[in-house]
Amino acid sequence: MDLKGLAGGQYKPLSEKDIQTIHEAALGILEKTGFTYESGLEATAGMLEAAGARIDRTAARIRFPRKFVLDHIRKAPRTVVLYSRTGRDDLDLTENRVYLGTGGAAIRVIDLETGEYRPTTLKDLYLLARLVDKLDHIHFFLRPCIPTDIPEDAYDVNMFYACMKGTGKHVMSGVNNIDGFHKVLDLASIVAGGREKLIERPFISIITSFAISPLKLCTASTLIMQEAIRHRIPVALSCAPMAGSTSPITMAATLAQIHAEQLAGITICQMTNPGAPLLYGGIPGRANLNTMGYLGGAVECGMMNAAIHQMAHHIGVPNYNSSALTDSKIPDQQAAWEKGMTTLLTAMGGCNYVHHAAGMLDSMVGVAYEQYVIDDEIIGMSCKVLKGIDVDPEHLALEVIDSVGPGGNFMTHAHTLRHMRTEYFNGNGVSDRRSRNKWEQDGGLDARERGRQIARKILSAPELPFLSEAADKAIRRKFTIHL
Amino acid sequence: MFNFTAITEALIACDQDKVLELVEAGLRQAVPAKDLLDLGLIAGMDVIGERMEKEEMFIPEVLMAAMVMSAAVDLLKPRLAEGEVGAKGKVVIGTVKGDLHDIGKNLVAMMLKSAGLEVHNIGVDIAPERFVEEIKVKKADILALSALLTTTMPMMRETVAAVVEAGVRNQVKILVGGAPVTQAFADEIGADGYAADAGSATKLVKSLLP
Repeated sequence: MDLKGLAGGQYKPLSEKDIQTIHEAALGILEKTGFTYESGLEATAGMLEAAGARIDRTAARIRFPRKFVLDHIRKAPRTVVLYSRTGRDDLDLTENRVYLGTGGAAIRVIDLETGEYRPTTLKDLYLLARLVDKLDHIHFFLRPCIPTDIPEDAYDVNMFYACMKGTGKHVMSGVNNIDGFHKVLDLASIVAGGREKLIERPFISIITSFAISPLKLCTASTLIMQEAIRHRIPVALSCAPMAGSTSPITMAATLAQIHAEQLAGITICQMTNPGAPLLYGGIPGRANLNTMGYLGGAVECGMMNAAIHQMAHHIGVPNYNSSALTDSKIPDQQAAWEKGMTTLLTAMGGCNYVHHAAGMLDSMVGVAYEQYVIDDEIIGMSCKVLKGIDVDPEHLALEVIDSVGPGGNFMTHAHTLRHMRTEYFNGNGVSDRRSRNKWEQDGGLDARERGRQIARKILSAPELPFLSEAADKAIRRKFTIHL
Repeated sequence: MFNFTAITEALIACDQDKVLELVEAGLRQAVPAKDLLDLGLIAGMDVIGERMEKEEMFIPEVLMAAMVMSAAVDLLKPRLAEGEVGAKGKVVIGTVKGDLHDIGKNLVAMMLKSAGLEVHNIGVDIAPERFVEEIKVKKADILALSALLTTTMPMMRETVAAVVEAGVRNQVKILVGGAPVTQAFADEIGADGYAADAGSATKLVKSLLP
């Protein structure tokens, strides 16, 4: 069942008036409070100043006049298409179309065989790419974990390599610096068969955490963001404050601050290269007030992420955000309800590119193989909700009701056979719906163990050649590949 | 060599037109009717049974295949010798007294019919004495009792008792089924077998027949 790119927007936590109020508030924040910055961004500040921003160099403050912001954000494209390499999983991020996939920078994984919670490796990244490639409801592969077993300066190339070798779905990741960006650009160009082909159908994209909330430009990430924008590689403008520590405790203020940060980031990008593709990347979160760590599984995260899509939609820019973070340490009931709630809310909110939606555990620290299988099911069910209920003569089936008649049954009617595989969501097998007898015969396994079995089955299948031998050779000649 | 696999595949695909066309072609080419039945149709139903067991096929598809099978057997009947086709056993099936649930019991009846049995589906809310009478009249080999409610399960015990009392217990094997029923309950009330679903009911009946 293809459930990609369905229209959300059924859940709207903000009224039109609320959206307008928050939008005005954000413009006010940029005009009055503005952004701060550190050394290394003199050129960026100069560019902004020349176009009309007010720069106070002694206080390191950039203030954005309202009209200046509105003039530039208008240039951002309303539609961004993130391509797959197979053509089967292209992501047309427009209006309220919904796609969900992986994400994160986890450093630990629950080992598929031993169950041990151990550091993530480059091989894990490759295996997770292969697993996700076969899970139909996970629509893209955003690098979910860090290869802690290789040198840090080898991260950028090796992460993209492992992802692209394992899956034909769209691959997104961050890079460490401008040099890393150029290496990744070269790597992806080899895979594409030329730079022009890559730019025409970008099957990779870059996350840049350009803003350090509240309201501060990160020098390194801002420079990477501008460089990617110059090369027209799509960029997600990530900013992720936590309500209570890096944004005000209240939800409305958190949304306003994020919206201000996004307006500033989009302005910088569109000034750098007008019309270049980007994603509004506000990710509202909550601080755990007991520890000041990240609190991902809160139901309000689902509410605020739906709301932030409304803000992005208001300015006509596709958005990137999060769902399915959980504070549970293992794939248990808590993980399921937290993931189920936030994923359904973001899907129904119409969020365009929802990362973190599969695999994550432990407040973003960890991932688990079986969790990807379980989350594939949760995403599928959430997207099925977006399909809604068809009410037309074929689906009303009045003739069928009449021909079967009172007291009959519909089991063998042609209408049943015609619709039984498309009307309802059937899942990947991780949900057990059999009789208790059969369940007991097969060992009485819980969802987590069934998820492990499905993951093992997928990973024991032959590897698919997502990189041609020639491309692989060319890559290995140019870069040190640790896989 | 006649292509029996084509019949098997068409049957699995529930394609009635194709199955009938291939069976007719076989008969025109003087392929023995018994071979068309065994190597084509029954081979297909075996695959369907396996797929149903693995839950790769839905029950409506299985039932549809059974209907196609039955239409094909009608074509073959005139060419088949006595004993090569026909009921392998007689089944009386119904829901016990006080219980009006129909659909699961009907499903079992349909599945048994598609497996080649002569099935008498006598309905719902059936009193013990009515079951006894039907066993006698139909000369049944199998009595299949259904109950969906925990409150009507005791009526299964009473029905078994009535069959014993009427002196026909040795004539029939008694099967019980329905959502709350278990193997333990079947054993406790002296039934011969329990099946959890329609697919296993068919297997069970076949195993109980002489």
